[in-house]
Amino acid sequence: MKKILALVAVVALVAFAAPAFANVNPFMDVPMNHWAYDAIGQLAARGVLSGYPDGTYKGNQPMTRYEAASAVARALAVVDMTKASKQDVEMLKRLVVEFKDELDALGVKVDKIDSRLAVIEERLGGWKLWGEFRFDAKFGGNDNMTDPALYGTSGANQFNISRYRIWMRKYIDDKVTFTARIRENRRDNATRTERGLAFDRYYIDVKFPWDITATIGMSLHDWEGDDGLYTDNDAMFTDRSYRGFYFDKPFAMGNFAFYVSRPDEIGAADGTTEPGFRSPIEHYEIGARAKFNFNEQLWLSLNGIMRKYDSNVLTSLNGAGVEKEDEHVYWAAAGVNFTPSIALKAAYYGQEVQVGDTVGTETPKSFQAIVDVKQDALKFTSLWAEYRSFDENFKAWTDGPWDNYGAAVTGTNLGALYDNAIFFKLNQKWTDQWSTFQRYLIANARNEIAGVSDNTTNWTFGVKYNYTPGLSFELVYDKIENAQTVVNNDDSLIRFRTHIAF
Amino acid sequence: MAFNRKQIIRGLLVCVLFFSLSAAAFADAKVLARWSQTKSFKSDLGSELDVRATYYSAEYIEALVKQEAEKNLWTENETEQYKYQLLSGLSLDEYIPIHIEFDNRGPSMHLAPFDSFLTLWAGKNKLTPADFDKRFNFGFQGKRDGLVFFPRYDKKGKSYLEGVKTIRFAMAGAISSVTINLSTIDFVWDVARDNPEALYKGRAAARLELDRLIKRIEKLNAEKRDLEGKLSELNAELDTITHRVEELQRQ
Repeated sequence: MKKILALVAVVALVAFAAPAFANVNPFMDVPMNHWAYDAIGQLAARGVLSGYPDGTYKGNQPMTRYEAASAVARALAVVDMTKASKQDVEMLKRLVVEFKDELDALGVKVDKIDSRLAVIEERLGGWKLWGEFRFDAKFGGNDNMTDPALYGTSGANQFNISRYRIWMRKYIDDKVTFTARIRENRRDNATRTERGLAFDRYYIDVKFPWDITATIGMSLHDWEGDDGLYTDNDAMFTDRSYRGFYFDKPFAMGNFAFYVSRPDEIGAADGTTEPGFRSPIEHYEIGARAKFNFNEQLWLSLNGIMRKYDSNVLTSLNGAGVEKEDEHVYWAAAGVNFTPSIALKAAYYGQEVQVGDTVGTETPKSFQAIVDVKQDALKFTSLWAEYRSFDENFKAWTDGPWDNYGAAVTGTNLGALYDNAIFFKLNQKWTDQWSTFQRYLIANARNEIAGVSDNTTNWTFGVKYNYTPGLSFELVYDKIENAQTVVNNDDSLIRFRTHIAF
Repeated sequence: MAFNRKQIIRGLLVCVLFFSLSAAAFADAKVLARWSQTKSFKSDLGSELDVRATYYSAEYIEALVKQEAEKNLWTENETEQYKYQLLSGLSLDEYIPIHIEFDNRGPSMHLAPFDSFLTLWAGKNKLTPADFDKRFNFGFQGKRDGLVFFPRYDKKGKSYLEGVKTIRFAMAGAISSVTINLSTIDFVWDVARDNPEALYKGRAAARLELDRLIKRIEKLNAEKRDLEGKLSELNAELDTITHRVEELQRQ
């Protein structure tokens, strides 16, 4: 009930009622040299103010203060937001302040006008900024001298601002929006000792006819995230930034998407794939997707991404190298929602990859099944139970699906190392502030060799406290055994994270 | 200690009643959960966002009214009063209202103009909001909730939901940096068997009808006054012309 009343109150507060025309004061009490004449005139000339049903504003004719206030009020009610600039909004504000008493007397509450102006300003008021950063205190189990330090905590312990991001958006007009993101630059520096600022997103969203939206520039779309196919870090094939053209066409129960991208890092020698920054080899990447929601219970998505390499790109598998074959990945994903809180999801991936200069391409497959139960259903905890199987040589393009705390637990060569993996994640939200979570992974090694390779396990326990909506603290213990199937490739981590968002 | 037959029957009745009530409560909870869905998202930096969307189907409203009445121990009158206020606020006879609730534990969300982020797909019709809670236009962290209203009827008066089995409420992923990599946040409801007409029974419905009729009388009276004004203007103009014609004829 409170919500309804609140809504009514807000609508009443913000909605702008055109006032009744005031009684005409016989005395012309706004001098002709008053700045308000110019201000109203300029706004009218620029088309910001229009539509005076009773012709209240009549150019440079003497006015009473009530007439001027009435002109402002009436015009504000029909202000053309697409034509107003920041300066125009400022001018309107000045007029509102100038004629505050008269507007009050006319029954128009100035705070209501302020709200309306604030809405207009929000819409066109230049840049919107937001961002976040996180500060980590990491206590690694190993020192990288006698034991491997899998979490990158050389010297065992580390305090650092692990990441920061500042977003900005400009609503240009009804059809075009610009978005950009600045973050720390980790480019060209594997040790990451040299840092700086870099834009890792800069794109416009444009609304075209036939309900097509284009994203042009450096952007990111996460199709596996769209389908809820992973809960940790990270997706296998999407969730990578790209430079290109992305088109989206929605329809009643889903959408079609298509993109073409190309890295512009010609000459980049480093073969490490750092999302958004490095291009190991020149190629076009073309992707297409269709998503269908059949009803409340059922959905299906069909996805495909093709990488077409330039003719001068050679594999580096032997000294001479041969021309690199194109690579493809296709997958179909489907889900059944038994209730809004209990879902079964599955995906089947097919890949075409080059495995060697002489072997040529292979077509490994992967299967994934997920049971996703929200806390609403079990009351005390949520449950994510996942099974994945991999054919030999199946390889993720983005990241390992469970490389969550800065260590390559499985890495991306999933098919080369593992037959299958089972993963559980539980999350308990105790209050708005407190939550706890646990993770457990066992990835079964493809070839177990005593003393050399064995199953990889990873488990985690964490507790999170949201002090305010913008500030949280998280304490995590993470333990890895036999990372990437290498026996004794073990490490553990205690991490205290402070996360700030603004 | 031995139980007699009466005690056993009484015990059994209590058990049956208890399980019946539990089953009814469970059914209501299921109805409420079906029409009021939550999607949770987490970014790679650790920000979290919960989005809850509620479609006001007839069975949802009935279950909600029942739940509130039981929770607050209302009389029948109080329940009817609550139902009347709820239905008045929702304006189901004009709009398709959807309640949205955000719990943003991440960077500020800047949603102005909020309506540009929302679409309701009803069959082939792509609907945009007719009205929404303007508080959504202001940047926020933490919790914020409010109603969004989509038109229920087209210009010819035909319901957009007529013959539609499933609707999709799509919120652009760009609402938050937590979801910015996603195309849309979708809420799908099967509305084929929803019957809002069923709500308009009882005293609350009579009051709502009365409200509608009063509104209609006001509208008709305004039209009447407008026409009378125009008529009197025409009469005055006719009088003036007639007067002038008579003057000219006299010359």
